[in-house]
Amino acid sequence: MIVLDLAIETNNLKKYFGDIHAVDGINLEIPKGSLFGVLGPNGAGKTTTIRMLSTILHPTSGDVSVLGFDVKKDAREIKKRIGVCPQELVLYPRLSARENIYLIAQMHGMVKKDYKERTDELLGKMNLLDRANSLVKGYSGGMKRRINVLMAVIHEPELLFFDEPTAGLDPQSRRVVWDFIRDFQEKESTIILTTHSMEEADDLSDELVIIDHGKIISQGTPDELKGKLGEGDILEFKVKELEQRDEIIERAKTLDFVRWGKPVGKHRIVLNALDGLRRVSEIMDVVKVKMEDISVRKNTLEDVFIDLTGRRLRD
Amino acid sequence: MEQKLEPKFTSQLWYLTIKNFKSMIREVSQLVWIFGYPLVFILLFRFGYGLEVFDIFAPGVVILAPIVLISQLAGHFAEEKESGTLQRLITTPVSRSTVLLSGLFSQLIVAAIQIVVMLLLILVFGVSISPNANVFLLFFIPFIVAFTSLGFGLILASVVRTASSAGGLAWFIILPLQFLGGLLTVPLVDFIPTSLAAEAMGAVMIHGSMAFDPVGLNLILITIWGVGLIFLGILLFQRKTAIL
Repeated sequence: MIVLDLAIETNNLKKYFGDIHAVDGINLEIPKGSLFGVLGPNGAGKTTTIRMLSTILHPTSGDVSVLGFDVKKDAREIKKRIGVCPQELVLYPRLSARENIYLIAQMHGMVKKDYKERTDELLGKMNLLDRANSLVKGYSGGMKRRINVLMAVIHEPELLFFDEPTAGLDPQSRRVVWDFIRDFQEKESTIILTTHSMEEADDLSDELVIIDHGKIISQGTPDELKGKLGEGDILEFKVKELEQRDEIIERAKTLDFVRWGKPVGKHRIVLNALDGLRRVSEIMDVVKVKMEDISVRKNTLEDVFIDLTGRRLRD
Repeated sequence: MEQKLEPKFTSQLWYLTIKNFKSMIREVSQLVWIFGYPLVFILLFRFGYGLEVFDIFAPGVVILAPIVLISQLAGHFAEEKESGTLQRLITTPVSRSTVLLSGLFSQLIVAAIQIVVMLLLILVFGVSISPNANVFLLFFIPFIVAFTSLGFGLILASVVRTASSAGGLAWFIILPLQFLGGLLTVPLVDFIPTSLAAEAMGAVMIHGSMAFDPVGLNLILITIWGVGLIFLGILLFQRKTAIL
């Protein structure tokens, strides 16, 4: 039997706020050194889970071990070893970028010479050295987001929690943060990443879970999760007649290479078809209606996510 | 298990206090409030009512200065809660009590500066101070009042959610303390910290008194107020920011 060195282990983790079951029996085993993605719609329980793992919320019940320490008994030992990058921009606006980062290093008891050198190194990596001594309140949203990340990593934590680290960033800044996260993982830190960006989760995660209504509804590597939706391509198209929509899906499903089909909104249909790109004409012959605005692409995590969590808007 | 560096409580307290102090002095509106509000009354009494009235009310105006710290401290902690920085700090190995103490210390530094500035200003504007007045007591009486202000500030900080509501609600404490305590008029209640302090300050400043009653006795009573309020404030604040 292989025993993995685990960074996080939870057993039937629950958090209730009155009648609301925010987290409802989550079991996790996250190996050290991995980049673990946590996906889920708004209100699914992701942030509550992260808050319990990072010791700022007590579980209602269940066991939680973080880096070998119990979250209830050894919170201080855990805090010495973790870094948390919150979803919101949590910075002191009337301090400079450098002062904000120094403060976290000082709370961790780092030696002045070390944290000064490391801050310069990190600011350089994030292209922020030029403005490092300006007050944060004058920064753009993207710059603040990058400082938010640096405050979580200044003390070289063994375990890092990134909650939506690239929310609201432009594509260039997003890639800078992604490269930064990858660099960090290469240093054998464990990273827990919650995100709404399926591209981010797919690109960065070794393994991920999808959480909904406080429970894990799927878990695996990005490829394994995509594989659960079928091996085929995703063929999406528009039909004019609303009444014909369900009939078209049924007709398409009679083809042996069409794995499944479902409606999207009022006028769009999505089919999963093996070798879909080359067989569009065969499908057109069978459905016998004019298909408009056709697109064919590979399965994405977003397809998996929508398939598992549905299309209904969440609060 | 690898042993990690144990951060020192004193270093954490020092760095947090410096952080709070920097944040405060870099906000012009806060400086205007801290020094401007009591200055308005110095100018009003000195030039509006003349030197004779100014001599009578100068002790009350100096006591008024640390009262404004109620909204300062409440606003500071409300901002920490509202912006998430308090929560960010407690994901590091710093305790909530260290964060709380640092807030109190930084405000006490401000109070010390504020009291010295106000004493110098009333001298510059020509107040008559008894030649027998004890300089230490002239500083110490308003400084003890600063403790009671911080107690009120902590209690307020534990019940408000935002810095702006802290600023507004603080007036419901500042104005009664100011007017009932007789800082700018005749005192209406004689047992609240401001009336006790104004009486003691007047005795020291105008009459050069060092008598137990009112100076020593009032200082003891203000200290009891301060300790009680700070204790209640800490209790409420810890409860409101507890990890659930």
